[in-house]
This record gives sequence, structure tokens and C-alpha cells, in this order.
Amino acid sequence: MNLPFNRRSFLRGLLSGSAVCVALPVLDRFLNCSGSAFADGAKLPVRFGTYFWGLGLTDTPTGGTRWVPSKTGPGYEIMPELESLKPVKDKVSVFSGFRAIGDGRANLVHWSGHASILSGIAPAASGRFDGPSFDTRIADAIGTSTRFKMIDVDASMSRQPVSYSTRTGNGFATPETTPLALYTRLFGAGFQDPNSDNWKPDPAIMLRQSVLSAVKDQRQALMAGVGKADQIKLDQYFTSLRDMENQLAVQLQKPEHCEACVVPTAPKEMPRSASVDAVRANTKTMAKLLAMGLACNQTRVFNFVHTAGTSETYLAGQSKIYHQITHDEPTDAELGYQPETSKLASLVMQALGDFLIELDAIKEGSGTVLDNSLIMAFSDTGYAKIHSIENIPMFLAGRAGGKHKAGQHIHTTGESVTRVSLTAQQLVGAPVGEFGAGSMKTARPISEVMA
Amino acid sequence: MKRRFIAIAVAAITIAFSGSTMLQGSALLRSSALLQGSAMAHGSAVAQASGRAQWTKTYVVEWNEPAMYYGAKTGVIDPGTDCPKGTNPEIDWIKVMVDAGYTLEEAKWLRNPANPTRSPVHGQNQMAFRGEDRANVYINPTSTPDPGLVGVSGTIGEGVNLDGDETTGFTSPTGEKGIDNNFYKTCGCWKTYRGPSRLSSGALQFNDSMRNGAWTTVIVVSGKGADPMNDDNVTVGFYMSNDKMVKDGNGNIARDYTFRIAPHARYEGILPARTSNGRIISTAPADIMLRDPGYALNLELLRARVNLEMKPDGSLTGYVGGYRPWEAVYKGWVNARGPVIESLTWVQLPGVYYALRRNADYSPTGPSGEKTHISFALRIDALPAFVMTPDASKEVASVESYKASAPRETGRTVGGLGTFVVDGIVPDRNAKVQAGPNAVILPPAASSTNK
Repeated sequence: MNLPFNRRSFLRGLLSGSAVCVALPVLDRFLNCSGSAFADGAKLPVRFGTYFWGLGLTDTPTGGTRWVPSKTGPGYEIMPELESLKPVKDKVSVFSGFRAIGDGRANLVHWSGHASILSGIAPAASGRFDGPSFDTRIADAIGTSTRFKMIDVDASMSRQPVSYSTRTGNGFATPETTPLALYTRLFGAGFQDPNSDNWKPDPAIMLRQSVLSAVKDQRQALMAGVGKADQIKLDQYFTSLRDMENQLAVQLQKPEHCEACVVPTAPKEMPRSASVDAVRANTKTMAKLLAMGLACNQTRVFNFVHTAGTSETYLAGQSKIYHQITHDEPTDAELGYQPETSKLASLVMQALGDFLIELDAIKEGSGTVLDNSLIMAFSDTGYAKIHSIENIPMFLAGRAGGKHKAGQHIHTTGESVTRVSLTAQQLVGAPVGEFGAGSMKTARPISEVMA
Repeated sequence: MKRRFIAIAVAAITIAFSGSTMLQGSALLRSSALLQGSAMAHGSAVAQASGRAQWTKTYVVEWNEPAMYYGAKTGVIDPGTDCPKGTNPEIDWIKVMVDAGYTLEEAKWLRNPANPTRSPVHGQNQMAFRGEDRANVYINPTSTPDPGLVGVSGTIGEGVNLDGDETTGFTSPTGEKGIDNNFYKTCGCWKTYRGPSRLSSGALQFNDSMRNGAWTTVIVVSGKGADPMNDDNVTVGFYMSNDKMVKDGNGNIARDYTFRIAPHARYEGILPARTSNGRIISTAPADIMLRDPGYALNLELLRARVNLEMKPDGSLTGYVGGYRPWEAVYKGWVNARGPVIESLTWVQLPGVYYALRRNADYSPTGPSGEKTHISFALRIDALPAFVMTPDASKEVASVESYKASAPRETGRTVGGLGTFVVDGIVPDRNAKVQAGPNAVILPPAASSTNK
């Protein structure tokens, strides 16, 4: 039967007068005989990542926007704080006017915004989410056939490691915080060069797998002998064990050849400094490593923190940190915005530009790693001076293997940030029809950017 | 037909209009269908049942901020008739610390962002210890000489004539004499408080919080005359509600939602008044306490009076003024973390202490008593809303006290950010050396690198 669907298709309909899209999973009919590539020859792997930076961008109540383009749809103009995105503009969609909706829950400063974006729920308390972050759901959908289901990176050089990825809402992932640590994770012990002619199964991995297999019968017996509450706890625990089994199984298979994979050399340790230029350099180095990790098929899902919500960055030689400047700098009467804050925001955005350019620099088939990826970049606030959670800057970068109609500016007046989150999930094929809770619950992705 | 309401047990609602505009929140929406055919104006009701009031108008406070007349044309720090030299200038903290007895090297290191004792969130705790013998100036402000706080020198001010004396105080923008607002005189050139209506950073911060659900204040106005616009027997009531305000698709507070009064042991105010051409004017002073849109949390107003206007569009705007305890305001700022407040708002808190004490103009014990209170006014914008009795059985028909039915107090009487603030600073639990009078400032071998 000749169905009018392909791997890029969405099931579309109308709900209360609004367009609704539901992504299709990767069905066998969309794949070639080996399942290693799509039937049309395109590479299967589409990667997903989040990129987070703190303190938002400049868009003030007095109308001094520095990042919201006036033109919507394709061909938006490059605003001053988005200058660094110019080289990849056609691969980046800008989303403005979206907000986190608390449903009466207070705005927890430097927390409610990104917690809402990632979990779909306005959090009740700082330091935890009220649900899992959606990157974990994507990892479950597309991250099971790589060595690492997900990689967490924190380039911020903060005093404490920063991660906003969580399966439970309570505990957050432990990120790699230095280039050397990231290199070691991706290309150190256990790395199998996909392009090597001398591949052999690693005996150590075989041993670990056999250990897990040995307890399988006991595991099942234990599950049968405990109450429902304990069954739930054990199921959560054994799920992580099964994930580990799957990952080990992946490593016992000869990896597919990856034309773009070139094993990098180990980076040198960098001195710790939260100055803007140091964090930018750190971001660039770690982006380069991560990009090659993607090209070498070590993972398909990642979370990248450039700076924390309460960013610690500062301009070298200054006594004020960026965070302080967002709050204490008065709005310039003539300009309508805070000039120093805007300058720092532009510098912070340079790191996002660097990051995307690194992904775009690696050729892969007829495109680049960025073309076969979708990165959702976002911040914690809109107007940082007052910790606003309205008009939080959000971007979708990369073409998601052709599913993302990139290069557009989408503007709304106060719709939920979860619409962008849902769109990201569906663009990379996560089996998700709706996302969020309360007023942020939505089944309406942004169909304008979905091919 | 005038007393039909939708079911009350709506905890959280999401209403979509035309498939795009979203309203969110936990307030209750009166069915528009039920309003059809009703002669009742928005937010008002004729109380036929109780017999105590002939008319009632009800509102929800959508914005409130200290009444600070803004005398410049644009900007925040720019000179104006209120502050001819602009706001208090940014402070050279290195000089302040050197003046307090620290060496230049120590002062520079304390202000260096790379100093691990300077928290990017809570600031540099050692800033507190700059009084005599390095006393904590936040809790012992007189341990340091008055560093000064430039106050308002203009003659125009907003608020209410509290003492009935037209020869003292400011003249209102409309020409009314005798406006008592020494809080404005003291703090009107403080950057946080200064700015056009609804645009000062302090007002934006706290109203954003209120509008996102931190608290809700409702106002009930009732009268015994036949004409609400001209009635000599009017009562104004301020109450708390646990129902959160609802934002429309543009982020503005939506009109005509329903709020239940939540009896509160502290926050309630009942004031006798009259109306004249729609203006509500107090006929006698009253002692009240409201929820402060600021760090003090409690807005206690002795001899409070209102000057409000019922606008043709159904909204309510104007002032509630009174004498508030000035030391509670000061402690509110201290508990919001002294180092953060000082750095972000460009004041020395001891200077605020001295200025408030100097300008205090009321003693509850009589003219010769200690001036523990300072004249103050809150500028209020309220929208028509439906206000229900606490049991939600009916719309309020008159102004009465609900304090007797309020839940017991939790004991929290001091504002600020919580119990982790100790004497105006947040001790770093992980620090090897805590800030204090005897703290070692310079790290070992730092003398050659941190000059």
C-alpha cells in the first residue's frame, strides 16, 4: 500500500480551531533494509541538544529590544544581540513573545523560566523541577543506539557544576565541566573508533554484560515477591540497569562507519576563570569536542550549559559581574535599554554562535552535523533586570535532518514556552503528542517551522 | 438574576479564546453568558439582600507601588525637578572599604569577581563589616558615620494629606496642597524607587511577582447612599485573596475574574470615606495593615487615608497613605541581603537608616514622642473584579472585618528572603573562613597578584 507519509510527515488535525501536529515515530517502512539509513538514503541519526545561557536578552518595557526582529516568518533581520548567529541564520529559528505561566505559583528567580521550558511545569520550589526534563524523553526515543544515551556538558566554569537535566525532578545530571573531562568521556577509555579496521569486542564490556545477565533471574523473582510500591521503585532501578545493558550491547557491536568522525587530540587543562572571554573559549573548545562526539556517533542527545541562570561571568578587569549589571544598570533614556547589559548579552551570544558554527563545520553527507541536529537554545529570563519570565528568548537551530523549516522568526503575544518545547520534541521524533501542565499544557506545536 | 455565579470549585482554569489567546490562573471567571441581561456594572452589585449597603463596587489590585513623583523627562538617573542632580550616584565600594579601615589591596580583593568569598548570588559578605571595630553596619547602622542619602528637593509629590495641614508637605501634580509623603522625600532619588509610573525597577520587580501569583489584594467599596459617585457614607475595605490574578494573552491582568476573600490576621484595612464625583476620600483616619509591595512584607499604616478615583472604565486608581514604621522598611532591605541591595541599588544602607530616622514625622505616642513612623503613600491601580465572601457563598455586599475568622498567624513577621539570611548576609556554609570582624581578607601569597 502506498501511504502518503514519509519520515518527515506529521499527523495533522484541528483542535478548537488550532492546528495540531503529531510526529510519527521512525517506522520500519521509512528505513532501508538494514535499518541503518532512511530509505531515501539520508542518514538516520538526528541529534538533539539543549543549549542554555543565563540572564536572557535585552527587551525592555520601554521598548528597547535588542533581539526581537520586527519581521516575522522567513528572512528575519539580524538584531544586534543576534549578530553572532549571522553565519548560520538560515539554520536558526527565533521564537519571541513566549512566556512561562505560573498558574499562581510565584516566579522563582533564575529558576521558573527554564524549569517551565524543560519540564512543562512551573516549579513549586527552587532547585528542583516538578517533573522530568524533556531531554530525557528524547534520549529514551533516539539515544538508545549510541554509546552514551546522553551527554551533559557545563562550560560555565561556575563554582558548582550546573545541569538542568533530570529524570525525577530532584536529582540533576552530573555534567562534564572541563574540556579534558569531556574528551576523556567521549574519546578516552571505552571509545571505539568507528572507522578502525581492527575492531574487536572489548572483553571488559563482555564481562560487565555477563554480570548483569547473571542476576536477571533473581531480578525477576524479586519483582514478583514485593509489594506494588517496591515494584515501582525496583522498576525505576531496573530501568536504569536495562539502559546500561542496552548501552553495553551497543558497544559489543561493530560501530558503523562514520565518514565525518576524526578522533581529536586531547585538549589541555584550562585555568578556571568565569570571565566572559574564558567561558567563551571553554564553550568553543567543548563544542568542538562535542561536535566530533556527535559525528563519531558516541551520543545523539546532549545538554550544554554555557552559563548558569545566576551567571557568574564578568568582563576581565571589572569588579561587577554580569548578573549584577543586569540588575543595577539603569536604562539609558535615549537608547531605551541598558547598554552595558546589552553588550554583555551580545558577548554571551557569541558563544552560541561559536557553538553552532562548530557543529556546522563538520561535513556529513550532503550537509553538516548541524543540518542533522536540532538544538534548542534558551535562557531563564526575558528582561533580566526584574527576572521576568515573559518573552524568554528561545531558538531552534539546525535542520533536524530536514524536518525543521529553519530560518524563521515566530512571534506570539504571551503564549506558553512549552509550545516551543513540544515542537522540539516532535521535530526529533519523540513520541509526544502534548507537553506541559496547567496553562502550559499544550498539544499545539509550532507547525510553521515543521516541514 | 443578579446573584448567579458559576461553580466555585475551580482550582485552575485555562480558557482559550479564538484558539489563540490564552487566559491562565486560578481565579474564577464569571460566565459571560450569565452576565447577559444583567443590569449590573462590571465589578459592582446592588446589595438588596443585606440591607447594609445600597451599592458595592469590587476590584482587584493589578498594580501598586510607593507613590514617588517622577520629575524628569526620561530615564531613571537623569536630573529632574524632583532630584536636580539625578539619583544618588553609583558608589565606589573600594573607597568605602578603605575609608572603613581596610587596605587598598584588601578592598580590591573583596570586590574582585574572582574572589571565592564573593558569591555571584549573595554578594560579598565582608561588606557588612565596615562599622567601628568592624561592626556589622546592617544591624548596627550607627556604628558608622552617616554616609548620606540624597533626598527629593522638589516641591511636587503624590499621596494623601494625612494631617489636614495644607501648609506642610508637597503639592500634588494637580495642585492639592499638604501632601504628606516623607518616605518619598527620603527615598525618591534612590535609583530603585525612581522612574516613570510603573517603570521604576522596584515597582517592576514586586508587581511582576504579585501579578505572577505571590499575593492578591482585593478592594471592596460600599455605600449607603443612592448614588455611588456622590455618597457621604462610604466604606473602603482592603482584603487578601488566595485566588491568583489571571493574565490575558497580552500579559495584562484580566478584568472581571472572581476572587474569594481570604481572612487574614494582619492584612486588612477598613476606612470610612465619602465619594464626590467618583472620588473616594477618607472622612476619618484608620489604622490598617496591607501587604507591602516591597521587602518589608508588612505595610502598617497608622492614621491611614485614601484618595481614590472610580474611573469611567470601571477601574479604580489613586492612593492609600498613612504613617508606616520606618525601621521595618530598613530591616526589609537588610533582610533582602545587604551586600546585594547596596551593590544593585547604589545606596549605603546605613545612609538609608539615618535618612529615614531623620525624616520620620509621626509618633504614635504623641507629638513629643519618638518619631517611629514616616508618612507614606501607595499608588494603586485596580480593575473591576467580582469579590466573594470567604465561603464563596455570595458576592460581598458590604465592607466588614473578617479578621476574627482568620487562621492563626505563622509567626513570620519580618520580610526578606527567608531564614538563611543572618544579620543581613547569607553565610557560606562551605566556606573555610566566614566573613566577620576578624576575617582574614587576603588569601595566602595574594599580595603580589591582586593589586
